[in-house]
Amino acid sequence: MSSRNTWIGLGTALGVTGLAGGALLYSRRASAAQGPVLSGAPDPGTAPGSDFLPLPTAADVKGDLSRNWGEIPFDLRALLLLMEEASQIPGSGRVFGVIAYRESRYVTTAHNGNAANEEDERDGSRRAYKNNKDRNPALRFGDQAAEFGSGGLFGALAPYFLWTGVPEVGAKAPLLNAPPEIVFQPRAASFGAAVYMQRILKHYRVDDIADIKAGWANPSFLTTGRGSESYKNVRSRFIADVEAVGIDLNDATIPAKLNASAWPGVPAVFARLVGKGLV
Amino acid sequence: MNVDLSCYGGRIADTADLVGDCDLRSPTEVYAWVRLEWEAMAAVLGFTQQFAANLPSRAAISPMAALQAAGIAAYAASLRHTAKQSENQARTQSAVLQQMVATGRERGELWRVSVDPTTLPTGACYEDQGQAIRAFYPDTAPGYFGEGWDGPRPRAESACGWQTPLVLHLGAFPWVYSSRLDATGPGMRWVSASAQPAVLGLQLAASLMEPATNLRQDARQVAAIFHHFDTHTQPLLARLPVFQSGRAEAGRLYRRGGFLYVHQGSLHVAALDGPRGQLPAPAYNHILRRFACFFAIRRATLRALSSLPASVQELAMTSTDPCLREQATAIRRAG
Repeated sequence: MSSRNTWIGLGTALGVTGLAGGALLYSRRASAAQGPVLSGAPDPGTAPGSDFLPLPTAADVKGDLSRNWGEIPFDLRALLLLMEEASQIPGSGRVFGVIAYRESRYVTTAHNGNAANEEDERDGSRRAYKNNKDRNPALRFGDQAAEFGSGGLFGALAPYFLWTGVPEVGAKAPLLNAPPEIVFQPRAASFGAAVYMQRILKHYRVDDIADIKAGWANPSFLTTGRGSESYKNVRSRFIADVEAVGIDLNDATIPAKLNASAWPGVPAVFARLVGKGLV
Repeated sequence: MNVDLSCYGGRIADTADLVGDCDLRSPTEVYAWVRLEWEAMAAVLGFTQQFAANLPSRAAISPMAALQAAGIAAYAASLRHTAKQSENQARTQSAVLQQMVATGRERGELWRVSVDPTTLPTGACYEDQGQAIRAFYPDTAPGYFGEGWDGPRPRAESACGWQTPLVLHLGAFPWVYSSRLDATGPGMRWVSASAQPAVLGLQLAASLMEPATNLRQDARQVAAIFHHFDTHTQPLLARLPVFQSGRAEAGRLYRRGGFLYVHQGSLHVAALDGPRGQLPAPAYNHILRRFACFFAIRRATLRALSSLPASVQELAMTSTDPCLREQATAIRRAG
């Protein structure tokens, strides 16, 4: 299976506006509230994913949570750093933070696909499912994933998100039986994002940090689309996001080029980020 | 003897209960209580790691003083990496804050200090590229802490255009402005490369957990601000569901234990929208907790009054606050 085919489209920009208020949180939840329960959690009184571990805290990570984190919310920094520590990609935590700013404005239940003007995202997830379902293991909630669009902290397109880990572990990929709403669980979303970043770094020519975001928007930007207007636009938006968030890419906390050579593998990353709460 | 906070108005005792009781005669209890409060502050203000690294021994002779010092040091350490203001602004803010704290102590009004800015060092102005700029925000419009304040207006002409009093709610630091409750408390930005007025701000807010400083503060001022805050936030909170473990939805804002909570999401991007403007969820939690701590320590101090130093007892007996005087007198009578 081509990684490009599987991963293309994951993380298209969400167009979330403004920092969240209570009302925004509710609106983001509106569509997600209708989702099916997770496998293994059929209690009708139990909300989807309510058995997940809580967000990690400072005690769960080793690295520094003060230096060069800019305006990234304090209570998400430990999750982002846990992603860095779990994936063993030094410097990736702050980069994930900038990506999350663009994709969700840090609203874990950000969802594109549930509003009338989000047809593009629904089309994207329908296409992703239709074009890839025959060469990937079956998704238990495939039809729902196709209609879902994209969402979560890192703006994942639902079918690709649920196939996370398939190239590495095949039918043992951990999200195959989960409903697409699981992308609203920040630990699950972080697992998908960590795997995705590793794949970009491993399979594509990545010249600098901004190239990661180009690959995040569309891996073809790192091959045939390199140098195109769209490629340049994604990079420019990323640099603007870096400034808006207040991250210094030249600080010692972020290497000039990220390196995924110490990637411990999908099962280890899943165990560290998500634990046993899912399957 | 039972200490009664009802003289400060309804809901005060319930608010104090949010942070639990503390027996000031027990060093173990004091350590646990104060540590928890610093951990709560650290979580909201982003210095959890520094505080954990600075945690004093449980065997400290004065757990309150040791934890206060550790908390302040941890906060100062965390600010080394934050965005910097100009040196001029930060130095001016430091000088102004020191003067305001002195004024507030004298009046027994440390929580909210309101002064004529032209009487302060440099007139509460600093110079930036040849221009005189106000060192603080002129916060006198109606907001979550009150309806706005007229005086004391500037008696002299202000070089930087002050036409209102300078009002700071230092008890709620870093959310010091009633009408500008940004997601990041404005006081968090009071930092330059060489000056950290923000540290002074937090030191003052935290000092209200110390019995002597707590008694010097006129609780009637705090109660009035609390009731205003409560009146304007309760209708907003009433719209939120109560968190129930096992039934919560990811990303949803809940009420939990009197505070705001986002299940599987960031509290720092959640806010309440009300007629007085947006109230960020971390600001709500932090401010409510400051009120709760103030009255919890007031109650704990009165309960333990007879075992506290004579100088502390004297503060209660001679307070301008009739409620405090009466309680202290009754405690002394009860022996």
